[in-house]
Amino acid sequence: MSARPNPTPFDAGRAAYLALNGALIAFLLAPIAIVFVFAVNPTPFISFPPVGVSGRWFAKFFASPEFMNALWLSLWIAGCVLLLSVVIGGACALAIARGNLPGRAFLTAFFMSPLMLPAILTGLALFQSFLLSGIGRPVWGLVFAHTLVAVPYVIRTTLAVLHNFDRRIEEAAAILGASPVRVFFEVTLPLIRPGVFAGGVFAFIVSFDQFPVSLFLVVPRGETLPVVLFNYMKFDLDGAIAAASVVSILLALAVVVALEKLIGLKTYVKL
Amino acid sequence: MSIAATSRPAPIAWLVAPAALLFVLFFVLPFGVMVLMSVYSGNPATNPNAVATTRHYERFLVDSAGIYHEALWSTLRIGLITTAIALLIGYPLAHWMARMQSRLGHALLLMAVIAPMLTGIVVRTFAWMTILQDKGVINTLLIQWGLADKPLALMYNEFGTVVALVHIYVPFMVLTLAGVIGRIDERLEQAARSLGAGRARAFIEVTLPLSLPGILAGSLLVFALSISAYVTPSLMGGTSVLTLPMLIAQQVGTSFNPNFAGALGVALLSVSLVIVIAYNRILARLAGDQGMA
Repeated sequence: MSARPNPTPFDAGRAAYLALNGALIAFLLAPIAIVFVFAVNPTPFISFPPVGVSGRWFAKFFASPEFMNALWLSLWIAGCVLLLSVVIGGACALAIARGNLPGRAFLTAFFMSPLMLPAILTGLALFQSFLLSGIGRPVWGLVFAHTLVAVPYVIRTTLAVLHNFDRRIEEAAAILGASPVRVFFEVTLPLIRPGVFAGGVFAFIVSFDQFPVSLFLVVPRGETLPVVLFNYMKFDLDGAIAAASVVSILLALAVVVALEKLIGLKTYVKL
Repeated sequence: MSIAATSRPAPIAWLVAPAALLFVLFFVLPFGVMVLMSVYSGNPATNPNAVATTRHYERFLVDSAGIYHEALWSTLRIGLITTAIALLIGYPLAHWMARMQSRLGHALLLMAVIAPMLTGIVVRTFAWMTILQDKGVINTLLIQWGLADKPLALMYNEFGTVVALVHIYVPFMVLTLAGVIGRIDERLEQAARSLGAGRARAFIEVTLPLSLPGILAGSLLVFALSISAYVTPSLMGGTSVLTLPMLIAQQVGTSFNPNFAGALGVALLSVSLVIVIAYNRILARLAGDQGMA
């Protein structure tokens, strides 16, 4: 539209279009912003309008052993999931892009399917398997369950990078006498690193915020932060939840900025 | 270069092994176990009296208490309404994003859409509870401005559930649609306009039909995600909403009947699988079109 030679002074249609989109952006972002208000509002229950600014809910959150145990468990699991999914997903993407495997489209769809199938069913199926095999509900089970739903993100971002970079760089290195192993470590790996890393950051967030897969797999007193928050919210709706939410939103924001810096968000968005 | 390399897998193909192992052990086998559990009367590994039975499916199909069919219908209805609203809201945003000329504007818009996706479902549902509850933001403002005498029932019903679900899943719609609209040649619309079509007509007759695959793919994705939602309907719906995922959680948590939960799971899975297959077909066709262009 802006390319038109003589823009009219006031374009009502254009103004309505922009107003509508502005309202929709507000719909997307306002609920997240409002959580910040309730995190610092000192009233004992969630109420509006806010009456002041206080740190009591953050103090309650960081002083509660229940929340802190859950926070550390979630961070610890998310760290393990990050490492596992980077290795497993990065390797898988390389195999799909470079391995001449038959049925590549099917394989890609298969490895993406945990994102499409109901996550609560993945949790249920794993719960039943653990029940059937009698292994109980160990933490490593939760780690692998989260890895399963995190790996697709790493595969997707890594495939996007592999798709974009020029394969002749690898061939040039080979022609110049580098062994396949050296080509892999000195050319391929550095080139795909941003994609793998971005996927890893996503994997971390997916695990840290994971609820449906965790629901049936956590044990009492060994619950992750989202499960603890969910159970708390069923009975109590106070600022402690808002403070906990702010902590995880800030974590997510840091991730968005890191992603944009590392790789540009566009690569992730390409489906 | 690819002529010699097409026939057989390269050694690097072995790198698929860890992912394949993970998926077999923690995805394919567990879903097999879920199906197995759904046709047994108990846990076949620990209970010697457990026998094969179709009674869990019969219980669901006969539905003597009259709640299972209602739950299935609620799940599908909430999914459909959520999808329709997400499409109405998502399309203008996706169009704006796809046609945004400025790189900075595009990056900011993308961030605004992705930031909610990176916020956990529990957190976003909590945000909507603070907005829609009786003492929440909207009711307080309505009463203060004299637009209502008592709080409106915005939450603990299907309305609140759908509002929060739309907010949670609309980014998926926007991203899918923006990808498709971005590939439509803008000059087609300009040609229609220079031939005398108004802006609305050019959009309805040119851009909208060309974005149909995106509309379909985005709708299937949002539908698949919203029928499997658990957190939002159980917190926002209160006691007046019962969906299939909530029923499954009840069977595991309070009734401790994992076998019946398995049968309910198979029912939800069958609906999802149909949607996933359709979604993948559309994506494959979109990728094919892109390859030819």
